[in-house]
Amino acid sequence: MYSVNARAGITRAFRVHRELHGNTELIETCTEIVNRNPRNLERLRIARKPSGYHLNKPGHMYWHKLFLIKKLRYVTAEVRHFENGPVVSVSSAEWALKKQLYRTTDSSAYINIGRVLAQRCLEAGICEMQIDAALTGNKCELLIKELEKNNIILTEPQVYQYPNSWDRYRPEKPWEIHE
Amino acid sequence: MSVKLLRCLASDFIPKGQHVRHGHRMRGKPPTIARTLKQRLEELNREDPTLDFKVNIGYPMTKISRRSMISGWMNEIIARRNNAELEKSSRTRKLLVDLKTVKENWLQIDGSSHTHRIAKHYGVYNDLYGDAYFMPVVPLNISYDTEDDKLIKVYTGNVIKPGEASKAPDVTYDAEDGTLWSLIMSTPDGNLTSADNEYCHWFIGNIPGNRLKEGEELVDYLQPIAPYGIGYCRYIFVLYKQNHSIDFSEYKKTKPCLNLKERNWRTLDFYRKYQDQLTPAGLAFFQSDWDHSLKEFYYNMLKMRVPIFRYDFPKPYIKKQTWFPLKQPFNIYLDKYRDPKQIRKEFLLRKLKKVHPFDGPEPPRRFPLAHPDGKYIPSWLKFEIIKKRRGYSHVNDLNEY
Repeated sequence: MYSVNARAGITRAFRVHRELHGNTELIETCTEIVNRNPRNLERLRIARKPSGYHLNKPGHMYWHKLFLIKKLRYVTAEVRHFENGPVVSVSSAEWALKKQLYRTTDSSAYINIGRVLAQRCLEAGICEMQIDAALTGNKCELLIKELEKNNIILTEPQVYQYPNSWDRYRPEKPWEIHE
Repeated sequence: MSVKLLRCLASDFIPKGQHVRHGHRMRGKPPTIARTLKQRLEELNREDPTLDFKVNIGYPMTKISRRSMISGWMNEIIARRNNAELEKSSRTRKLLVDLKTVKENWLQIDGSSHTHRIAKHYGVYNDLYGDAYFMPVVPLNISYDTEDDKLIKVYTGNVIKPGEASKAPDVTYDAEDGTLWSLIMSTPDGNLTSADNEYCHWFIGNIPGNRLKEGEELVDYLQPIAPYGIGYCRYIFVLYKQNHSIDFSEYKKTKPCLNLKERNWRTLDFYRKYQDQLTPAGLAFFQSDWDHSLKEFYYNMLKMRVPIFRYDFPKPYIKKQTWFPLKQPFNIYLDKYRDPKQIRKEFLLRKLKKVHPFDGPEPPRRFPLAHPDGKYIPSWLKFEIIKKRRGYSHVNDLNEY
């Protein structure tokens, strides 16, 4: 599924015939390798992104999305994956946060949830996510602002389309960007 | 039924050429009876609980009853409620929690289950142990020291560049004296021999307590080596607790071990062999991709060419060629069925015709379309010339996309 074909055609023609040993032999014989990391293609923008159906309410097009669950006593912020469900979550019901908060549903609770969520997302290697449309209001804005402040990108890039030879433009290749 | 009858009669009674609106025909079962796509997908992906269950091979989670936890917290909660300063800072939105203590408390209570969830998301257990998993009950503290005095920590899936991880990291964890541990760093991604193999990057066995230096270094540290073009590979640290000292001499490699074939590794086979003596307890992993510093490492240390790969995209669907393609521009239509190599060759020959052997190619025109050709040109050719001059479509194939 994640196979990658070697572009060895050109190099093979000019191969110098000499004694091959160890790693050199290994790379000459290798034509296909597999990256089993399930999050790799999402990072490279090649993976499928669900687009939802025509009559669906919009909002299905994401790999990771931030949801907020409001309860009377506490608030939970959750980053969900479209297949695997909740991945990272922060709640003001957690003792770790509750211990230092005055109230678990007020504005400063939202701000602190944002800070902790940003930290956990960056630690989990999720730096881009969509935001649920239900996150409106002053408190939610505070949370979102805090995420932005802590280097989380609040949109996801578009899926890369490999161009056919007759297509007009050649988009930039995501696997050649090394920051 | 009536629709079918109408169709039957239509051919006899309705004159030819007359437009007829037939009633709409439903395909499949009516919506009240038919299953939805969600139900169908659920049925397709349903797992058999007798076969597809996962086994916990690590330590069980210590469950603390809610009552015993809250009784300890109550006094703190009451003290906080009566704290006027805290209330003031909270109301003015200036209350900022200390992230360090939050993390410490989180590691004690939810840390292992959250780490487990993220590891599952990254497919760590599936690729290392197949149908088994473990709870990372021992938090691992791994940090790389870079040359410019930066400390880069390994958490659960954060990105670390190979240049930053060139030297062995410092690993600490809470361990009592008299216990024995072993640490393995491996990657299941991008193995050059076989897709089922992993590479063992680091293996230290029989570590007394958390003093890594005193442990037996069986396989020396190798920095992350993600080949060019395959993207991000996972590098996974697993900490095992040993019941007693184990003889790992079969895994011993001469230092430095730079032959990649010798580093081939299978965690599942290793674990199966020592499952009575080893219990996985700690987990941390990071992702790493290609970096320019790797080029030198491949040439000088591993003594090999840089492996360059590209993703195998599915071929585009092209309709079967017909004798009389209607409403199709003939040149674009015919190009689709020609050998792409031949097209590329034509473009290359045309390009080389204009290249001077000593002066090189012509400088690019500033206004590529402002050079009229005097004679008559058919419109399809005009369009081809425009495409060529502006660098659209097939011309780009020359630059090896």
